Amino acid sequence: MPDGSFAQQPQQRQFNPYTENGGTILAIAGADFTVIAGDTRQSEGYSIQTRYAPKVFRLTDRAVLAVNGFAADGNMFVKKVKQRLEWYRHAHAKDMPLRAIARLIQTMLYAQRFFPYYVYNILGGIEEDGSGAVYSFDPVGSYEREACRAAGAAQALVQPFLDNQIYFKNQMAAAGQSHPLHLPLSDVLAIVIDSFTSATERHIEVGDGLEMYVVLAKGRSSQGLDGLRGAQEISTTNDGDRVFVIRRELKKD
Amino acid sequence: MFLTRSEYDRGVNTFSPEGRLFQVEYAIEAIKLGSTTVGICTQEGVVLAVEKRVQSPLLESSSIEKIMEIDSHLGCAMSGLIADARTMIDHARVTSQNHAFTYDERIKVESVTQAVCDLALRFGESVHDEDAMMSRPFGVALLIAGVDEKGPQLFHTDPSGTFVRYDAKAVGSGSEAAQSELQDKWHKQMTLKEAHILTLRVLKQVMEEKLDHHNVQLAQVTKEKGFEILDEVRLKELIDDM
Amino acid sequence: MASPSVYNGSGFDFSNVTRNSFLEGRGLPLPKATSTGTTIVGCVYRDGIVLGADTRATEGPIVADKNCEKIHYIADNIRCCGAGTAADTEFTTALIASNMEMHALSTGRKPRVVTAMTMLKQMLFRYQGHIGAALVLGGVDATGPQLFTIHPHGSTDKLPYVTMGSGSLAAMAVFESGWKPDMSREEALALVAAAISAGIFNDLGSGSNVDACVITATQTDFLRGFVKPNERVEKERRYVFKRGTTAWKKEEIKNLVVSETVVGHGEQMDVS
Repeated sequence: MPDGSFAQQPQQRQFNPYTENGGTILAIAGADFTVIAGDTRQSEGYSIQTRYAPKVFRLTDRAVLAVNGFAADGNMFVKKVKQRLEWYRHAHAKDMPLRAIARLIQTMLYAQRFFPYYVYNILGGIEEDGSGAVYSFDPVGSYEREACRAAGAAQALVQPFLDNQIYFKNQMAAAGQSHPLHLPLSDVLAIVIDSFTSATERHIEVGDGLEMYVVLAKGRSSQGLDGLRGAQEISTTNDGDRVFVIRRELKKD
Repeated sequence: MFLTRSEYDRGVNTFSPEGRLFQVEYAIEAIKLGSTTVGICTQEGVVLAVEKRVQSPLLESSSIEKIMEIDSHLGCAMSGLIADARTMIDHARVTSQNHAFTYDERIKVESVTQAVCDLALRFGESVHDEDAMMSRPFGVALLIAGVDEKGPQLFHTDPSGTFVRYDAKAVGSGSEAAQSELQDKWHKQMTLKEAHILTLRVLKQVMEEKLDHHNVQLAQVTKEKGFEILDEVRLKELIDDM
Repeated sequence: MASPSVYNGSGFDFSNVTRNSFLEGRGLPLPKATSTGTTIVGCVYRDGIVLGADTRATEGPIVADKNCEKIHYIADNIRCCGAGTAADTEFTTALIASNMEMHALSTGRKPRVVTAMTMLKQMLFRYQGHIGAALVLGGVDATGPQLFTIHPHGSTDKLPYVTMGSGSLAAMAVFESGWKPDMSREEALALVAAAISAGIFNDLGSGSNVDACVITATQTDFLRGFVKPNERVEKERRYVFKRGTTAWKKEEIKNLVVSETVVGHGEQMDVS
């Protein structure tokens, strides 16, 4: 205003450092394996930024991390976790065990308590005792070991499905029978694929591509994985736990 | 040996023309004045034993503390300037707790030893903008005993920041005689009990006074019970069995 | 902003707008309407008009309908694509279709596209943008092929190729690079399909299939599901639950068969 009265008015400006980049991740633990998966679409609003932005990362031969939320924070977080794993390897002459990575992620997230990484993390892999494990985190580091977890845009669509199919929620076992504690790998992979094709159908931010990481406990045969379409081994050794990645196309609309 | 020491033994961070750091070497010498300390590693666990020099009948022997706990799976025995060891033990304890906090697992014996040795060389004149450093090298040697995923282990550290793993090690004034005795008697299949007896025998040989439960201290680290200092009752039993 | 006063002399009363925004401020938001995120287009070609639309309807980030119809009937020779609030586009086009029929009946002539356009814009203007309908109106009448866009506030454009909705930029990019005058029916249909496809694949608000509509002076062809590039894939597993899977708290069986005994009363009918 000409008389300068404009400057007298209280004004508020703000900068929002966060964006939500869509997509969904999930992980399911088996008795001696874990599957960690995520779609590859990255979006902002109604626009697709890229059809291939990985959200799932191999950390070690026994640990895989999936990150979802604000992509920039997610990528930086994974970078820093990998750096800490490298430092640990140099300091202690071994790969960090899964539960140690889980605790490390908690301390790293909580270190940013008042300017958090806007990221939901799911860590999957094989424990020291050879069992499959999934750890899920909130953005400031609260964590828990679980058998399965979905996070991200379509969490509300996928988690109830997993609760029903993995935990057998709302399903009565037939008389004299009980529900299995762990499903075989082929069933778990089928459930993961169906979760993502279904989420793609009904959620606009899910689609384009699917990456499924499979971590197998040491000594477990890779039977069924070698022949699987699009499966590829990415372990650094073949006498320890092993990591495979399976890539599939999802609908692109 | 010290013919050319001239002025080069003054500064803690000055090499002599022959490439030696005299202050560090002197610090290592200081350990040889300390009481004898013995450590033996077996498949069941690690045993630590120290001689407590009770210089006066008025001295309360239980107040001499030469074996300390670092963590529930880590112990440490020392010889040399005991006061210096406090700084190192403090650092080891913080390192171990910090590791447990950050990684939800027990730190490895080698890692905690490395951390202590990293500290050993932080002497010299403090440079602009840096934290004040220590004025001289530590005058103490440590025997760090512990059990981790690699089993029972025994490490020796000296003032130069060097650390080495041993099956059995003696440090302090009687170390030469003690070490050759250990070399003679140690074997792979040694039981924890045998190790207890051996440490006491070795100490007995090199001690001037008659060995009793007041002038030695014994500790062990096992997979099952972790670090523990043996109480007088158990110590007496062992001395009787010797 | 409309005056908060209820005592306006004439015209529409927008005082509820003030009430609603007050309520929203107090934490009572209005129910979310189904929106047709949408890509809709229209283009003129040699013999008439081709209209196109995707078939996705959304509620926020959720797909509410995978195969909805966005090309609405106005008259035999006029169609209208709608983007925005689904209820508004459906109701508005239906209302105008009805009024156009009345108009055709009273004038005894084939209805003109400008007429529908004028009725639509006047209605939308009256509602000051509160009816969230963004339309592409096309048809062929006595004056030839006509193509318009109508915005929610009532403004209109008359252009040889138009796009609307959240996928309008993606679709317009295709038109800008591919449209030319005097295209054949096949060329125009292919271009419209490409424009809608650009919206389907690049705009998250649009998806599923391409609907098209070709209007010429003599006939109107509505091509429902003209292209179907997004068929649902088969599931890996079958999700059929065994009988007895669902738990129940109690069982109650009601007999619906009512039996009664009829006892004879009074005198027997005389059948002699």
